[in-house]
Amino acid sequence: MITSGKGGARRQAVKGLALAGALSLTLAACGSGDPEPADPNGKITLSVTVWNLAKTPEFKALFDAFQQANPNITIKPVDILADDYPEKVTTMLAGGDKTDVITMKNVTDYSRYSSRNQLLDLTDMVKSTDTSKLAGLDAFDVGGKYYALPYRQDFWLLYYNKTLLDKAGVKLPEPMTWDDYVKIAKQLTSGEGGDKVYGAYHHTWRSVVQAVSAAQTGGDQLGGDYTFFTDQYNVAKGLQDAGAVLDFGTAKSQQADYRTQFESGKTAMMPMGTWYISGILEAKEKGATDVEWGLAPMPQRPGATGVTTFGSPTAFAVNKRSEHADAAKKFVEFAASKAGAEAITKVGVVPALQTPEITEAYFGLKGMPEDELSKKAFEPDKVVLEMPVSEHTSDIDTILNEEHELIMVGDKSIADGIRSMNERVKSEVLN
Amino acid sequence: MTQAMTRPLPPAAPPRRRRSWRNILVGWSFILPNFIGFALFTLVPMLAAFALAFLDWDSYSTPEWVGLENFERLWRDQNFHVALRNTLFYAAGHIPLTLAVALGLAIVLDRKIRGVQFFRTAAFFPYITSLVAVAVVWNMLFNPTAGPINQFLEAIGISDPPRWVASTDWAMPAVIITSVWRDMGYYMVLYLAGLQTIPREYYEAARVDGAGAWQRFWNVTLPCLRPTTFFVLVMLTIQSFKVLDLIVVMTDGGPGRSTLVLAQLVYREGIREGQFGYSSAIALVLFLIVLTVTVLQFRLNERRSTS
Repeated sequence: MITSGKGGARRQAVKGLALAGALSLTLAACGSGDPEPADPNGKITLSVTVWNLAKTPEFKALFDAFQQANPNITIKPVDILADDYPEKVTTMLAGGDKTDVITMKNVTDYSRYSSRNQLLDLTDMVKSTDTSKLAGLDAFDVGGKYYALPYRQDFWLLYYNKTLLDKAGVKLPEPMTWDDYVKIAKQLTSGEGGDKVYGAYHHTWRSVVQAVSAAQTGGDQLGGDYTFFTDQYNVAKGLQDAGAVLDFGTAKSQQADYRTQFESGKTAMMPMGTWYISGILEAKEKGATDVEWGLAPMPQRPGATGVTTFGSPTAFAVNKRSEHADAAKKFVEFAASKAGAEAITKVGVVPALQTPEITEAYFGLKGMPEDELSKKAFEPDKVVLEMPVSEHTSDIDTILNEEHELIMVGDKSIADGIRSMNERVKSEVLN
Repeated sequence: MTQAMTRPLPPAAPPRRRRSWRNILVGWSFILPNFIGFALFTLVPMLAAFALAFLDWDSYSTPEWVGLENFERLWRDQNFHVALRNTLFYAAGHIPLTLAVALGLAIVLDRKIRGVQFFRTAAFFPYITSLVAVAVVWNMLFNPTAGPINQFLEAIGISDPPRWVASTDWAMPAVIITSVWRDMGYYMVLYLAGLQTIPREYYEAARVDGAGAWQRFWNVTLPCLRPTTFFVLVMLTIQSFKVLDLIVVMTDGGPGRSTLVLAQLVYREGIREGQFGYSSAIALVLFLIVLTVTVLQFRLNERRSTS
């Protein structure tokens, strides 16, 4: 009797808990369905997910500008550690979090969230505004629908050390092919041991070879046939064998920092993304380096017309559960607009909106190079998405990266490495 | 009610019964704080991981029962085969080498020599040094072009020294060397403790019988250390099979897949790809391997101690 009584009590307690749980769930569900506050002049607090707020000045610049233009809206950043950002946002969205604006750090995550139906459809907004000058928008096209609008577009170009080039009497040809690049890099290499100056520095990321190659040859990184990488590997491997770039094995095992490589004045040329501009401006401002630098367009395949490079956009999206959807949309639109672009240009970040005025404003920043070639580098004719998005992206990325390492450390010949990419992607992923 | 139930029983029974109940309750209350922690943070997650191996779950959608599908996929997955081979390679290098070096160090430092405390501390130091620091510094030493190790090898006349972490053949040996260096101090301490338990009389008797240093080591030291060796061996085996941290920091599985190990594959598939079911299946296989090896070691030990 006693035990049964106890059991009854326990059962009741469990029931009570379950009821409370169900109740809170229903309440949460109700909350997410709440309509906008009717009063348009009422104060609204808009929450936005960001990463490393203190070290990513573009967010503050953008928020300040937006709040100034919309005094009734206050922005509350939700700061997340950059390395944990994708996992954290995935968990938040899965858990029914109601943060209004979600920053899309990369296109891969965007495709996940949009396919899970966690983002608000922004197609109408995209259709109703002039997006012809908004670079990187195509990456967010999901079967004709858009769930995010890019505000930032980084792309790759060539950084060079003016002092080293002047000393060697080298002038970068225009347009520059990869053959020219190889020749100049070899010419600029000098010295031995600790004093060695390298003609170029290739960072260890596979994109340095593979994404460039895909963008400029039109090859498909998800296709399963990677013969189109061959020419670019010949460039990278040729320079490495000639001792004109820091050896891949060393760079990888020493976890070489590309900033140090360039800012120490020991590297004459370096293909890298535009995000580094704000970094190098800051380093010079602080006096951490005295390197005289310039920008040039990415070298091209022989016979190419125009400048093709690769890059990746960053965008804002509206959470489907947002309670302030209109204000959130307003913010997304603002970030992609001229006003938003001007705000982030001031901190050295490359906006997605590309107009001559913005470029002018960008090069007006203190410390920017002033020559024509640098400005030209800033307006590539075509920016291809660094890595196309599909359900296979992550698996293929891993394979391409592993084989890239094997080719670059000299464990496999270029042909063998590419053959093994083809085989592995076909048998392990696409089959 | 209690009284009503117990009334028909013999008069001596109720207190004893009550006492035994109370004893049980008291006993439980003593282990409860610990047991709740164990159940909540060890037992439940372990059982959940076991169940997950038979599910398809990406941490946000509803888990789906897939039976043995994860294991079939495992069987076909090249990455798993590579990781398994690499893990066995690592274990085959790490276990005997660490054992030998730790035993050697313990025997050397068991003597009454000057500054023995200092040397013992020095040998133990790598074990309490931050692993990331250890990995970064060893990576510098192993630098194929400008590292001290290769400069030394070149100085003594080896014209083509290994490229260590920058080559698929030498990356794993480099990791093994680093891990032996790091772990030797800990196992040395265990062996030192084992050596203290060997009675001096055995050595004296052996010496009287005319046994040399080598014979004394072989016939007195080693047999007396068997319990310690067994413990060290089991610990080393478990440690070797679940190696992850050192490899992640030193090579991250590279170059290519040459140092990819099972624990890393578990992490990659689970945390990075969000395939928790598949990842749990790999973890389960890893667990079974370690279990089999450990049970074998226990059996062997039993047989030897009875013979």
